[in-house]
Amino acid sequence: MKDLVEFLRRYSKWLVFAVYVVLSCLLLSSGDPYRRHLWLTSASALSGGIYDAGHNVTSYFNLRDANDDLNRRNAALEAEVVNLREKLRDLQLAGFTDTMPTPDSVPHFEFIVANVINNSTVHPYNYLTINKGLADGVKPEYGVIDHSGVVGTVSVAGEHHSRVISLLNPNFRLSCKIKGSEHFGSLVWDGKDPTVALLEELPRHTVFHPGDTVVTSGFSAVFPAGLPVGVILDNAHGRKENFFTLRVKLFADFTRLNNVQVVINNLRDDLMAVENDPMAPTDNSNSNPAER
Amino acid sequence: MNNNTLATALAFLLLIPAQALVFNNLILFNAAVPLAFIYLIITLPVTYSANAAMTIGFLAGLCVDILSDTPGVNALAATVLAFVRRPVFHLYMAADNDLAEQRPSPRNMGVPAFLKYAGTMVFLYCLTYFTIEALGHFDLSLFLLRVSASSVYTLIMLYGLTFITVHRHEKRL
Repeated sequence: MKDLVEFLRRYSKWLVFAVYVVLSCLLLSSGDPYRRHLWLTSASALSGGIYDAGHNVTSYFNLRDANDDLNRRNAALEAEVVNLREKLRDLQLAGFTDTMPTPDSVPHFEFIVANVINNSTVHPYNYLTINKGLADGVKPEYGVIDHSGVVGTVSVAGEHHSRVISLLNPNFRLSCKIKGSEHFGSLVWDGKDPTVALLEELPRHTVFHPGDTVVTSGFSAVFPAGLPVGVILDNAHGRKENFFTLRVKLFADFTRLNNVQVVINNLRDDLMAVENDPMAPTDNSNSNPAER
Repeated sequence: MNNNTLATALAFLLLIPAQALVFNNLILFNAAVPLAFIYLIITLPVTYSANAAMTIGFLAGLCVDILSDTPGVNALAATVLAFVRRPVFHLYMAADNDLAEQRPSPRNMGVPAFLKYAGTMVFLYCLTYFTIEALGHFDLSLFLLRVSASSVYTLIMLYGLTFITVHRHEKRL
């Protein structure tokens, strides 16, 4: 017993070192970002409180940019409202009024406005923290967008804060297509430039040009179809492989994220139930492919 | 509770939130990251035991990891840094020096010795940190750029911090 105590005393430095290294390695290897414990993320109450305090101070410095941004978005929305009113009037005149959705129908997508209170772009696996959580209706796997494009998906939701897996995180893959084309691929970040991601697995017969817009395919219950993501820069690997891998300049400026919207798909549970039901009818040829 | 323990606790409470709220937002060119919270480990009194230093280092790293969503990266790198702290110190300061309860600082060690000590510690931390981060996504040029740029940037920040925190009554070793 005395020898054991002497051994522990003599080598305590190495034992303590080993314990902390093992604990750190356990944290490093805790794989799935959707299953991480709330208290080990920036969405916990304590972390969120610290970031809220910081955000309360720094948000005043961004008011001029935020105001300019809101004015731009307001102008764009006003133009869209005018265009939609004109289209609606034309359709009503054409006698299709009975096929239009009625005002009391359930909207497919709703949005919750949130502020980014913590963000990173320099790590290989980036996350951001927003100031909305379960109490505000935010749940894991909800999509997050800003005015210019897709930002990420919620991975962990606390009571008043949520951690979002950024598009700048190789764990996040986004189904996308080239606007005006039905060929789709998978958008993923390669860990290098925070303004550029790769659109992989695009069939070789896809026709594209640098400058073409990349949008969400809608082949999931997370994002609506047609959300802007970025523009094509060039083909990353030439024509050597069976699939194209395109470099895409992202619309969202991840270094200046401030206001974002959490996307709520009101039909998500129905879609998941249908997808998981083995007895569901397989003939869905009449349905919209973006909602499958 | 003596002055050193109080100063260490205060530095812990100030530097961890400062790392999350301030230094994490001062990244340059998406490459140079100021990991200034390691000032806490670098300036621990040399007489602190390795076990105490590693415990402080691990907890500080863990708190920064939780705030920054980098699980385990800073905790592991800070533990390694605390483990090598005393041998690195004695590379530049003789072991028989009258260390008393003094903290390593430019005033105590002299500017050249402190810069060598802090520079070595910062480089070791950045090397460990970016090696752990790069596991699975290794890009040599990006790795070398980040280690070198972050080492220089962090050292500049640390040297700046010494002017804020060094007490006038500290004596030269």
